[in-house]
Amino acid sequence: MQTLLKILARYSNFLVFLFLEVVAFLLIAYYNPYPRSSMLSTANRLVAWEYETADEIGSYITLRQVNAHLAEENARLRNLLAGDSSFNAVYHSAKVVQMTNDKQRNYLTVNRGARDSVYHGMGVRNADGVVGIIRTVGEHYSIVQPLINTASRLSCRFAKNDYIGTLEWDGKNNRYARLADIATHVEVAVGDTIVTSGLSPAFPEGIPVGVITDCKRNPGDSYYTIQVQLSTDYNRLKYVELISNNNRSEIEELNHGLD
Amino acid sequence: MDWTKQIGRYIVVMFLQVLLFNRLQLAGVCHPYVYILCLLMMPATLPHSVDLLLGAVAGLIMDVFCNSLGIHMAACTLIMLLRPFMLGQMVNDIERLNAEISTHTLGIDAMAKYTSLLVVIHHMTVFLLASWSWTHIGFALVETAVSSLVSIALILGYNFVKYR
Repeated sequence: MQTLLKILARYSNFLVFLFLEVVAFLLIAYYNPYPRSSMLSTANRLVAWEYETADEIGSYITLRQVNAHLAEENARLRNLLAGDSSFNAVYHSAKVVQMTNDKQRNYLTVNRGARDSVYHGMGVRNADGVVGIIRTVGEHYSIVQPLINTASRLSCRFAKNDYIGTLEWDGKNNRYARLADIATHVEVAVGDTIVTSGLSPAFPEGIPVGVITDCKRNPGDSYYTIQVQLSTDYNRLKYVELISNNNRSEIEELNHGLD
Repeated sequence: MDWTKQIGRYIVVMFLQVLLFNRLQLAGVCHPYVYILCLLMMPATLPHSVDLLLGAVAGLIMDVFCNSLGIHMAACTLIMLLRPFMLGQMVNDIERLNAEISTHTLGIDAMAKYTSLLVVIHHMTVFLLASWSWTHIGFALVETAVSSLVSIALILGYNFVKYR
């Protein structure tokens, strides 16, 4: 017993180290797919506030007001246009408070949270097209997982016909993504537009996703390798719109019945 | 050594880290993590286990700002484990470690070696854990090389300015 205690005392520092590393790796394993906690992420009010304030300091205040006003008006006009009754969308404008666009797993923080009735899985777009999906909701801020996150998948279709594929990002260039699952019997041309399929409850049908810039057909493979230039330029993203699906509870209920 | 000064510097450095260095964009390969200068330069008067805890906390705070829970914590704890051994190799006179670790206490050569080694270990851990796959390992290594160079230059530059 005494020898055991001696050994423990001798290696106590190393044991502390091991304990801390185990905690760190548990955190990585649990949180790495996406930030789950609104406290321990940029959805934390204090953290987001720091980013937001710093952003304010460095910009022209009047220009910002004009932009915010335009963003709100955009959301309002889109509400008027939203005629797709199967989706019943309502748009809310939001400002991007913080974002990364040069990592493998990128996220952006927006200044809308649970008190603005933001919910997990909400679609996010801007004037150009799809931005991403709400991942973590805090009281005042939320985290969006954009298309440029290696964990993101989006169901898309061709604007010209109804063939459906999955959009994924390879973690390299934040302007381009790949469209998978398009069989080689489909006619594909450079310049074709890709839009949302409407199959996910996050987005209504027909929101622009990108334009095909390259299309390869590997011998022996029955699927194309398609490169898509994303409609949204993540290098200059300031305002976004959150898409709230008013039929959501009904869809969830139906899906729940299937499980 | 005045610990309020150490904490004050930590807050200033974290602000710069989050608002300036985290926003650097050079082809996606330059992410210097200068905040570890607070851990590297901290006087070596505390028990080793306390050093480890401080490293873990500093890493965790950084993780909250980067949405990368656990990654910086693992890296910071690792460099805090190695720190006393590195210092032991470089300094014979233990008394000197009661002051801030710097070019002044260690000398330029030893401080450059100490900083470079720990910065590279920290950055490599962060980028390898962040990529979390073997397919991106080449990119993670380029990221480590570029970011480490910038971090080392900034930390040593700070030393030169302070102890000119």
